[in-house]
Amino acid sequence: MRIWSLYRLISAAVAAFILAFVLSMAPAGAQERPAVNNPGAQGVSEQQLLDELGKIQGRVSIPDRKATTLQQPQGRDYQTFERTALPWVGAFIIVGTVLSIALFYLIRGRIRTQAGESGQKILRFNALERLLHWTTATAFIVLAITGLNLIFGKRLLMPLIGPEAFSSWSIWAKYAHHFVSWAFMLGVVLMLLTWIRHNLPDRYDAKWLKSAGGFFDRSNRTHVPAGRFNTGQKLIFWSVVVGGTALSVSGIFMLFPFSFTDVNGMQTAQYVHAIVGLIMIAVIIGHIYIGTLGMEGAYPAMGSGSVDLNWAKEHHSAWVEEQQGKTGARPPPHTAAEPAE
Amino acid sequence: MARMKFLCDAERCIECNACVTACKNEHDVPWGINRRRVVTINDGKPGERSVSMACMHCTDAPCAAVCPVDCFYTTADAVVLHSKDLCIGCGYCFYACPFGAPQYPRVGNFGSRGKMDKCTFCAAGPEGDSTEVEYAKYGANRLAEGKLPLCAEMCSTKSLLAGDGVIIAAIYKERVTQRGYGSGAWGWQTAYRETVDV
Amino acid sequence: MLTKRKDRQASRTHLQTLTGGMAAAPLDRRTFLRRSGLVAGGLAALGSFQLGTVKKAAAISPPQPGVPIELKKSICTHCSVGCTVTAEVQNGVWTGQEPSWDSPFNRGSHCAKGASVRELVHSDRRLRYPMKLVDGRWERTSWEEAINGIGDKLLEIREKSGPESTYWMGSAKFSNEGTYLFRKLAALWGTNNQDHQARICHSTTVAGVANTWGYGAMTNSYNDIRNSKTMLVLGGNPAEAHPVAMQHLLEGKELNNANFIVMDPRFTRTAAHATEYVRFRSGTDIALIWGMLWHIFENGWEDKEFITQRVYGMDEVRKEVAKYTPDEVEMITGVPGEQLKRVAETFATQKPSTIIWCMGQTHHTVGTANTRASCILCLATGNIGKPGTGANIFRGHDNVQGATDIGLDVVTLPFYYGLTEGAWKHWGRVWEIPYEDLVGQFSSKELMETPGIPLTRWFDSVSLPKEDVGQPDVVRSMFVQGHASNSITRIPESIKGLAGLELLVVADPHPTTWASLAVQAGRKDNTYLLPVCTQFETSGSRVASNRSIQWGEQIVPPSFEQKDDYQVLYLLSQKLGLAEWMFKNIAVEGDRPVPEDVLREMNRGGWSTGYCGQSPERLKAHMRNQHKFDLLTLRAPKDDPEVGGDYYGLPWPCWGKPELRHPGTANLYSTGLNVMDGGSPFRARFGVERNGETLLAEGSYTEGSELTDGYPEFTMAVLQKLGWDRDLTPEELGIIQAIGDDMGDIGKVSWSTDLSGGIQRVALSHGCHPYGNGKARALAWNLPDPVPIHREPIYTPRVDLVAKYPTYPDAKQFRLPNIGFSVQKAAVDNGTAKSFPIILTTGRLVEYEGGGEETRSNRWLAELQQDMFVEINVDDAAERGISDGGWVWVNGAENDVKAKVKALVTERVGKGVAFMPFHFGGWFRGEDLRANYPEGTDPYVLGESANSITTYGYDPVTGMQEPKVTLCQIAAV
Repeated sequence: MRIWSLYRLISAAVAAFILAFVLSMAPAGAQERPAVNNPGAQGVSEQQLLDELGKIQGRVSIPDRKATTLQQPQGRDYQTFERTALPWVGAFIIVGTVLSIALFYLIRGRIRTQAGESGQKILRFNALERLLHWTTATAFIVLAITGLNLIFGKRLLMPLIGPEAFSSWSIWAKYAHHFVSWAFMLGVVLMLLTWIRHNLPDRYDAKWLKSAGGFFDRSNRTHVPAGRFNTGQKLIFWSVVVGGTALSVSGIFMLFPFSFTDVNGMQTAQYVHAIVGLIMIAVIIGHIYIGTLGMEGAYPAMGSGSVDLNWAKEHHSAWVEEQQGKTGARPPPHTAAEPAE
Repeated sequence: MARMKFLCDAERCIECNACVTACKNEHDVPWGINRRRVVTINDGKPGERSVSMACMHCTDAPCAAVCPVDCFYTTADAVVLHSKDLCIGCGYCFYACPFGAPQYPRVGNFGSRGKMDKCTFCAAGPEGDSTEVEYAKYGANRLAEGKLPLCAEMCSTKSLLAGDGVIIAAIYKERVTQRGYGSGAWGWQTAYRETVDV
Repeated sequence: MLTKRKDRQASRTHLQTLTGGMAAAPLDRRTFLRRSGLVAGGLAALGSFQLGTVKKAAAISPPQPGVPIELKKSICTHCSVGCTVTAEVQNGVWTGQEPSWDSPFNRGSHCAKGASVRELVHSDRRLRYPMKLVDGRWERTSWEEAINGIGDKLLEIREKSGPESTYWMGSAKFSNEGTYLFRKLAALWGTNNQDHQARICHSTTVAGVANTWGYGAMTNSYNDIRNSKTMLVLGGNPAEAHPVAMQHLLEGKELNNANFIVMDPRFTRTAAHATEYVRFRSGTDIALIWGMLWHIFENGWEDKEFITQRVYGMDEVRKEVAKYTPDEVEMITGVPGEQLKRVAETFATQKPSTIIWCMGQTHHTVGTANTRASCILCLATGNIGKPGTGANIFRGHDNVQGATDIGLDVVTLPFYYGLTEGAWKHWGRVWEIPYEDLVGQFSSKELMETPGIPLTRWFDSVSLPKEDVGQPDVVRSMFVQGHASNSITRIPESIKGLAGLELLVVADPHPTTWASLAVQAGRKDNTYLLPVCTQFETSGSRVASNRSIQWGEQIVPPSFEQKDDYQVLYLLSQKLGLAEWMFKNIAVEGDRPVPEDVLREMNRGGWSTGYCGQSPERLKAHMRNQHKFDLLTLRAPKDDPEVGGDYYGLPWPCWGKPELRHPGTANLYSTGLNVMDGGSPFRARFGVERNGETLLAEGSYTEGSELTDGYPEFTMAVLQKLGWDRDLTPEELGIIQAIGDDMGDIGKVSWSTDLSGGIQRVALSHGCHPYGNGKARALAWNLPDPVPIHREPIYTPRVDLVAKYPTYPDAKQFRLPNIGFSVQKAAVDNGTAKSFPIILTTGRLVEYEGGGEETRSNRWLAELQQDMFVEINVDDAAERGISDGGWVWVNGAENDVKAKVKALVTERVGKGVAFMPFHFGGWFRGEDLRANYPEGTDPYVLGESANSITTYGYDPVTGMQEPKVTLCQIAAV
């Protein structure tokens, strides 16, 4: 908001300057009687205003601030972005992510728990944490699908189901996006509060990064010590926090159009929302892969909440030690637990 | 076929708002929806000019390009129209429109907007010509009756011109040649990617 | 974003339901009425109604596909341009408006108001039924009960206080026929206390201009301005007040490469299109014009031949003008000397030049003198009586010219006959009422011949002590038909007047601010609102500013219990026992007098102003043949069978009987034309000589005149002297003889009192003009300032100039004391200009008109101006911490009054100047009076009235108020 008011201030200053300039020129012309009675000589010219200010604004009597903008050629840029850049960039990001993962899977295969299952379980996420994760996750998926619908729907879905059905679906998708967004935003805030202390940088991060978390060790032997969250997970966390905040802020701008900014601000909000959204979708696709298909033993963490002790030791040794140190003994066997996967 | 355009001669426009109320009258446009408006630039200062603005029915219309449900279409007269049955009220066309033409009745939750409404060049919408349903959704269909938009027809000073682009450009050129000045065809470069050269 | 919007979808569903119903039964009047009722219920249900929360009422009159369209033509009811409105009517419902291409005035165009007149008729904010105050609350009543109640009370007051204690406030919104009936009713009731908007519009123009050259109207026409090489707008803003006139101005400017000079304290929308804009201090018009004339005389740019032949007393003007040196003028007006010299040279040398004015000149204590100075500028430069020249005075309302002509005015009977015994006798003959009976209606013959009280002072005539009011008793009852209360200055004092009235009747399409202020004043009863039709719901003729008369037909009948002006006046006159006199020669159908008959009676008596040739048949033929009239000359081809040779609308004067087929007069005082082609000299109105100097033209005469020098007005004696009386038909002679017998001397029967039209016909047949061939008067010896001089406004910021240029001395005028001098002195002595340093001026917005109630009740217009505002200069705002769009208090110099309005920070006004539009009402001292309106009739937009801030000040000649210049202080809320 502050940036936009600053922007307005600057444009006003520029406008004042141009006007002063135009006015200072006017008397010089008025000295000689022009052959033609030309009031337009001192009139504003469209091109001049566009060149100097980028857009044309004036006064209207209706109480609608939007209406004061006579012309904003930036709409044409937005058009290019929406029509050309966004679908191609979006397709590139998403298809690229999926292909990269597929390639990764083909080359690396599933990351196994080297030591195999111990049969012993350790509680990794309690019910509240899981509820928080899944609420946010569901919200995100709904938002992603309904969001992608705005970019790709008319190109992919509409030819299949026809414009009427597509429009009806899109209206519901719009409402879903609007309402579900609040769950997502709440989720992001709560996740931040819940997990931030485990996601602060620690001494293990450098080593983890150096060995790339053992992702590319096909022998599965690289086990970097990590706390509750390893660096990769931290990156996911911070992506969600930063990306989610960007999406939330730009989204709130769009939920309350023109309440905080003008049309160019709205365009920027659109740009931010679309690009960050696409990146987030790519990140989350990676997150889903590694949490399910990509790594043996990872899913139960958010499924039942408890993971196999061996898995935990291989990926979060420091955390396991900390947990065991806390209870003073080995955790009790988790007999009721379902078998992993 | 004709290529319909609007041209506002800023040397003539006096911000009388006849175009605005003529539009309201012809289409019974509700309060808060302004299909046409008059903006005054440099208000109160020498060089002040007023320009009447509505949908310019652009060439390669930005609204149509960004519409996520493709509810826009262009008629044989190059009038840019849309289907309110398909419109989902997302508001994207407003961000794309260089002229602030799209209008939305604000309803319900948050920024959720109703079906977009805008100037139809008095050519209404996809429903059958001059039916009650068409009027209720889009207003009157003057083009189908062989008439031009009422805003331009009723313009107090003949500032606002509407019709075939070639003809109104010729009228404007003749004026500029006669009087020796003119501040240009406002919005033409952005809307039609051309200017009226005099 | 203040405006809340309603779901388009929701309203669509509603509409679909409606259309569903319509499919079965197409929309007819009955369904339409029922539906409008429904819609009104919906709006009323909104309850606490706030600005900007208006919801869309479903379209109540959509076009009906397949139903035949009937086209009807009427005239726009707003300004004086006279735009034709073409209505599409289906099944008796007004479903659409089309451009009126054929009208030579508007050629299809409209302004915001004209393009939305359909909604005036359909507005759900209108009065539907008669209402009255019962114990302070509005209740519905019946016409019968209302008329009886009003009539009984009027008669009771008449019995107690005499006829002069009833004030009749009529309207410039009347048709000519409505005006005439209202005027006649007041005359038969026995009072001259009857007036209308011209008082606060162009009363000073009429007085000033008529005293200069005979008639006080626009000399040329809007269309004729297309011929001008130089257009000088001094005190007018046609871009907002007369937008369609701007079409002619701007096209003329382009085609002729003309100079378009705008002189105004405010940089208006008109000024934005000027080739030269001159900003000057409000209220210094005379100094400005004299400053121009100083250069003109100094450089010999005046038209010497014209002055010698056709102007009396220019030497006196020269003497006065010599005092207005460039330095003095710059000191008074603030206009740089060089600029004024340039403007003067342009006006005097780049001819033809016209001067255009409106309220900017008239709304002053020196209004009459202002308009005189403007006329003198035309006379000195010979810019009168030719195409492209003249004093183009833009009147305000659609029929303010007609209502003025028809004498809805405290100083005259219809058509400027005055109030003399001769005038009353003339009208007695037209009305076929014995003179003695007319005298018997008045308190005295003296009061019968004494001008009444101007409407600007109505409240003073209620509130002042009895002994200060020059009539048997103060005003105790008032009948207002079609006039706003908030367009009159000094509202705080008018509220006191409202409290003092024993009876208040308001007959209007809307309750108006009379209703809200009456409740505010504490009125509990004896207050009536009568619902009246708009002009679109009745028929009749109206006069545009250029004197053209246009006949409007009824577009649709009224929807509820509204009655037209004719019906209201019929019912009232019947109750008062005056109907028999009123309608002696006028047919009445049911309770509706036939307007065509009313016009015919006007034709029979309107000789003095040439209202005699415009029969209803001719006027209707003009409306049918609009397309035949030329854009520039307004004339139809001579060979046309119906309207051949006529000027459009038969602009008055249109001499003789209709059968004479005089074409009307497009441009007044054009000696270059034959009298039968609309030519005319200056009117020999002021005698034949004064102090040994002739007042008749010298060597100037109209084309083809048999008398080739000046001549006096035609009387029977003049005809006899010339031997032209032989040309009279026996029938004409018989009528003249009878009138002569009545007057005691047949020689005294004149062109204006001869009911046969014979004298006019014979004079015209000799190429002579019935009213004579005189000189225009640069020196008007009967006015307070025979040659205008600058006088400071009552409330002026330039207290240093008051001693040298004081306002007029105190005097008794129009039955009341005018204490302007004392007020000015007190303001100077008390240092008012220090506490209230900002000049406040008022004016129009394009969306609204007059008091604004009907336009603020039109949702299409109201949406465009939702807040009352004050324009304040950027520097003044900065000094006071005022931001654009913020609330401010405007404090007035009198009555300790203040108004809460929004600030519009702009450079339109100069430093030290503020501007407020005068169309708002319904707020007072920051308080919203919406609850004071009868339920459902409150306009969409309310706001503070500018006139609660305006102050004392009255032109001594006409009683004109001074809303164009006063003082105020502005502070952020």
